[in-house]
Amino acid sequence: MNKTGIFYSFSSTKTAKAAEKICEEFEPEFKIQKVNAEELTEELFLSFTNLILGVPTWFDGELPIYWDEFVPAIEDLDLKGKTIAIYGLGNQVEYPENFGDAVGIMAELVKERGAKLVGLTSTEGYTYESSRAEIGDKFMGLVLDQETQPRLSKERISNWVKDLKAQFS
Amino acid sequence: MTTVPKVFSIKTTPKEILEKWYHLMTLGRAIDEKAPNYLKQAIGWSYHAPYAGHDGIQLAIGQTFEKEVDHIFLYYRDMLTALSCGMTAEEIILNGISKATDLTSGGRHMSNHFAKIAWNMHNVSSLTGNHTLHAVGVARAIKYYGEKAVAISVQGESSLSEGYVYEAINGASKEKLPVIFAIQDNGYGISVPKKDQTANRKVANNFTGFKNLRIIHCNGKDVFESMNAMYEAKRHALETGMPVMVQANCVRMHSHSNSDRHELYRSEDERGYVLDYDPLTKYKRMLLRYERFTQEELETIENQAKTELKEAHKLALKAPDPDPSTYLDFVLPEPHHPEKYPDGLHNETGEKKKLITALNETLKAEFRHNPDTFIWGQDMANKDKGGIFNVSKGLQKEFGPKRVFNAPIAEDFIVGTANGMSRYDEKIRIVIEGAEFADYFWPAMEQYVDSSHDYWRSNGQFTPNVTIRLASGGYIGGGIYHSQNIEGALTSIPGVRIVYPSFADDAAGLLRTAMRSRGLTMFMEPKALYNDPKAATVIPDDFEVPFGKARIRRDGEDLVMITYGNTTHMCLEAAEKLSKEGASVEVIDLRSLIPLDKETILNSVKRIGKVMIVHEDKVHSGFGSEVTSVIMEEAFEYLDGPIKRVGSSFTPVGFHRSFERMILPNTEKIYIAAKEVLAY
Repeated sequence: MNKTGIFYSFSSTKTAKAAEKICEEFEPEFKIQKVNAEELTEELFLSFTNLILGVPTWFDGELPIYWDEFVPAIEDLDLKGKTIAIYGLGNQVEYPENFGDAVGIMAELVKERGAKLVGLTSTEGYTYESSRAEIGDKFMGLVLDQETQPRLSKERISNWVKDLKAQFS
Repeated sequence: MTTVPKVFSIKTTPKEILEKWYHLMTLGRAIDEKAPNYLKQAIGWSYHAPYAGHDGIQLAIGQTFEKEVDHIFLYYRDMLTALSCGMTAEEIILNGISKATDLTSGGRHMSNHFAKIAWNMHNVSSLTGNHTLHAVGVARAIKYYGEKAVAISVQGESSLSEGYVYEAINGASKEKLPVIFAIQDNGYGISVPKKDQTANRKVANNFTGFKNLRIIHCNGKDVFESMNAMYEAKRHALETGMPVMVQANCVRMHSHSNSDRHELYRSEDERGYVLDYDPLTKYKRMLLRYERFTQEELETIENQAKTELKEAHKLALKAPDPDPSTYLDFVLPEPHHPEKYPDGLHNETGEKKKLITALNETLKAEFRHNPDTFIWGQDMANKDKGGIFNVSKGLQKEFGPKRVFNAPIAEDFIVGTANGMSRYDEKIRIVIEGAEFADYFWPAMEQYVDSSHDYWRSNGQFTPNVTIRLASGGYIGGGIYHSQNIEGALTSIPGVRIVYPSFADDAAGLLRTAMRSRGLTMFMEPKALYNDPKAATVIPDDFEVPFGKARIRRDGEDLVMITYGNTTHMCLEAAEKLSKEGASVEVIDLRSLIPLDKETILNSVKRIGKVMIVHEDKVHSGFGSEVTSVIMEEAFEYLDGPIKRVGSSFTPVGFHRSFERMILPNTEKIYIAAKEVLAY
């Protein structure tokens, strides 16, 4: 078992690029299986031990439609023994009131079902008003802002994956 | 902030409910997509605001509404809401193509404005969100009469930029009223994005400081989240009696309406992703994914909807078109007709009463006569005070704070909630002090205008039974905002009776008639005469004056002065002075401007031949211009000289007494003008 998978929409652009970058950082020590979040089933989801979820924030703080439709399934899952890390794209300038909200929504959802949430990151370096992803001085995952801080993403991913490697191993 | 319980979910909601929802959503979308074809085929529906993208919240709002118990005010994008409330596809199309049997208005009102007044689905105007005040008004009645019901005001998020929406929410918060403000947020006001409307993307959060108001956010594209939000909002409003705002995040999948092209201001990317988040296909995917329905079962429902639409289309096309010859119907409802005083005249003798006493005693008498009478306004009820001029003194003491109460300093709120409260029951009669002074009434004009065409616009189904009292005119050294006359502007608007008494008995009689009549009456009070002995008269206890009946206050043979309000007394004084010089002057006090007593005017003009029209308002575009035109058109050949108009100058009324004397008419100016006419 002990499989590690990264779940994101294959039809997305920026989220998919971030997934590629994350996988590159994990290799070669970790083999990461890519899973299309738009075709997810409960069985597939549960077949992984370590899960990296790509959850961008849509509109004014919502989950993307493909994750939203999977929420009723997650609500009935027992995620004890799963280690989950979440990343997501947001825009802190145009959507400062709900920056990275979807990361927070998903994080709460999986935590409540027993998953171990890893990959929390510092909120330092971001300027926003509120975020459901925020807990203390941390985000409950990695929040990337490709719209207003694109040049910081590479390093943020790199640091995040270093942390995840320790958590997943 | 308490969380919203998950009452509805894809896994637990009974299958027959899921089926009903899918049927409504499929049928609604089919009509939404077909609507533009009616315009292309020149059948109608020239205004259509597609709702696609609002499916979740519209379904939920309609499912929450209990017909004939709750009251709901839909906006122009609420097609699915209307269907979900229970309207049929045929009824929707009848409105779209403006047939005589259209339930909203029989073709009088714009298409895509859905109403079914018999069910308390109210007819609203196109002025975005102005029905928010009506919802608050009807909720006031719900609370007063102790009914277990809610008022639901449905609107787009851009309407929250309107000042009157703020006034409405403030009122609901202050009065603790069971109103649900259901805000459908699609991010645009036509082409104006949310960032250009307000600083807060979650616009409902602009109202977080309001006490007693609960705010719920939901995904309006999602059926279950929308259902849970609206279900909780209604539960909360019913159980606590407090207002709730539900902000539902939607997408607008198409242009604002068929006169808009969103490709001019939305990127291809944006237009693409809003289509990707189609709430209907999302719901369908969920039904299949969680194995609540098979593909075949859903196709059966879809086919049923197609068949239903086809049938509805056929029936609607066969429906009769409106009869344009009825265009004069429903401008004003039939008023109360005084039986004992059919001409508004009396021969009572005894003690004279001042005009202010006449108004005060008549208000009290009518409050005793009809227990469903209410009054509110600014400065209306605080200890011994009753209105800025104390006209309503003692009312609250006798009738209590639930029937007699202060309103916030918000004129539009005062008028709009009167309109709304009168929707609750035909028996209700409302008197409002529209503003502290007539000149302060302008902020209420949007509700005044809207109320003026309610009766016509609803094809006679609803009329606000409201009397608006305004302390009007000058001669008190008040200056601008305390001395103007505004009737010249108001008389150009159809659908409102306008009366302007000069004497105490007529003030009492007209007020009683207004308060017993259906419809909207503007009751203008010459405040300079409130306590003036010359306006005091004997008043029969039950005196009534019909609308549209002038009163000849002095008979004459050489010149007729047609007047009303303050200037009636000046005309009488001038006539008296002229009589001592041998001239016989008749003075007609119009009492009602709308309806106008043409018969009395024309009879006097034909008999006398020389005419003056005198009023305090500006000569320029004043009501005298209308009276002059009537005489010119219907009695020109009887004139022995040009009609002379006397009124105020085309300026504001200045504060210093010398300005007031220069600007306003007075007895001397009338006398001089009369001499000219008599000498012609």
